[in-house]
Amino acid sequence: METFISNIIRIMSHYGHVFLLEGVAYTLLLSLIAVAGGSVLGALFAFGKRGKIAPLRILINALVEIVRGTPLLLQLYAGVFILPRLIPALNELPDIVSVSVVLIINSAAYVSEVIRSGIQAVDIGQTEAARSLGLSERTTMWNVVLPQAVKNILPALGNEFITVIKETSLASTFYVGDLMTSYLKVRGNTFLTLECLTIVGILYFILTFTLSKLLAAAERRMKHA
Amino acid sequence: MLDICNIYKDFGSLKVLKGVSAHVEKGEVISLIGVSGSGKSTLLRCMNLLETPTFGEVWMEGKLLTQPDPYLHPEIIRASKTFEKLKAAGLADEDAIQKIKKEDLLHEKHGAEGKEYVRLMKEFYAANHLDANLARQKMGMVFQQFNLFNNLSVKDNITLAPVKIGTAKLKQALREGQKTTETKESIKAAAEKKAMELLTRIGLADKADSFPASLSGGQKQRIAIIRALAMEPDVMLFDEPTSALDPEMVGEVLDLIKELAKSGMTMVVVTHEMGFAREVSDRVLFVDEGYIKEEGTPEEIFRNPKDARLKDFLSKVL
Repeated sequence: METFISNIIRIMSHYGHVFLLEGVAYTLLLSLIAVAGGSVLGALFAFGKRGKIAPLRILINALVEIVRGTPLLLQLYAGVFILPRLIPALNELPDIVSVSVVLIINSAAYVSEVIRSGIQAVDIGQTEAARSLGLSERTTMWNVVLPQAVKNILPALGNEFITVIKETSLASTFYVGDLMTSYLKVRGNTFLTLECLTIVGILYFILTFTLSKLLAAAERRMKHA
Repeated sequence: MLDICNIYKDFGSLKVLKGVSAHVEKGEVISLIGVSGSGKSTLLRCMNLLETPTFGEVWMEGKLLTQPDPYLHPEIIRASKTFEKLKAAGLADEDAIQKIKKEDLLHEKHGAEGKEYVRLMKEFYAANHLDANLARQKMGMVFQQFNLFNNLSVKDNITLAPVKIGTAKLKQALREGQKTTETKESIKAAAEKKAMELLTRIGLADKADSFPASLSGGQKQRIAIIRALAMEPDVMLFDEPTSALDPEMVGEVLDLIKELAKSGMTMVVVTHEMGFAREVSDRVLFVDEGYIKEEGTPEEIFRNPKDARLKDFLSKVL
């Protein structure tokens, strides 16, 4: 046990920058890109799904179902290995870009469902009241429905962020520099598997735990607003 | 003021309204009574197109709010291919029209009835149509569940529609190059002044900055009523305005509605409050099984009901 702890301390003093400056930074960056891009794209998906253009609706629904129905790892393989074979121009892209794009699309699929259900959870009476006053569909959406839907959406979006942080670990399959990649690197140099895994586990936990506590605090404040 | 012409409304296989016609005069107060599920709320909601009728037309002050219903216009039926076919088969003019109406023979699909038919439908629509949003601005509605906007203060609940619609109209006027002394700010100020006047009238001026969640049911419903009044509507629709209220709050809401009726407002009220219907209505319509089974003055309906189902209904609620 003593050697275990002293090994961890030694690893951190030698390779701390690999875990923290590379691993944690890349994991946070990837998650942030995935959730930010996913939120924007997911919002577009959600509105497309509610929209009047039938082919677009079908296309989005199909995409969302495929993304939700297949493992992320498989989607990453598709983005990094399979698609570039079909479209040679994609070979030029660095893996981190392909991985980010796949993560964004994956996150968008889940976020679009979060937004859709958030909007649907707003009482239909609110819409009816606004429309009965002669307000247009758009004004009703922006001034009455969305402000109320946001209260349902934001907490769920936070949970999506936490999920994505953990899921980015799969990106290490392509050695893109995230926290799990830094584990592979340091283990390769030190041959200390258990110690490295412990460090990475603790770091993941600190990230997600802090975030979920921050979210809970934000949620409490929003309730009063 | 309002004309309901032969309205049918289906929800899937459920037929809620089966051919309802009604006329509302300016200044008239009409009550719709009937058992739950009889279709009276659906009828009210068809008036401002919260529900789109399956067949039939809704007119407000000579303007068509729905799509034209070809079955109501013999001249349009005469232009249809179906009519031609029946005539060719040897039916007389009148008989062919009757047969088409009775058996619902017109094709719904665009163009299946020929170019002339499509042209007449479009022409009729273009000549008479009024946009539903514009119509609703002149038709206030009050809901059973109040439906105050939860994300807005009481004052903003009342001013939202006047400000949004006022500024949209102002933009439109400026785009068309009209001269106007109005500005966005003046519209907002006028709407706020009006909101405060209305709030003062119902004694809730001190609640202007409160949010709906902090109000009682009676307060919410009274604010919902003045929110509709802020648009200066020509007609007010009430959908069971007191059914969701605690008994001690029913009075304050009914008093406000009565006051409104006395001021000459045109009103259509779906209600279970028979005493109220009797007191304020000029006419009472008994809606049952998707039809208007009986209509008349409160005196006729409550003293001297003829329809068996109405007698039965009254014996249960009075």
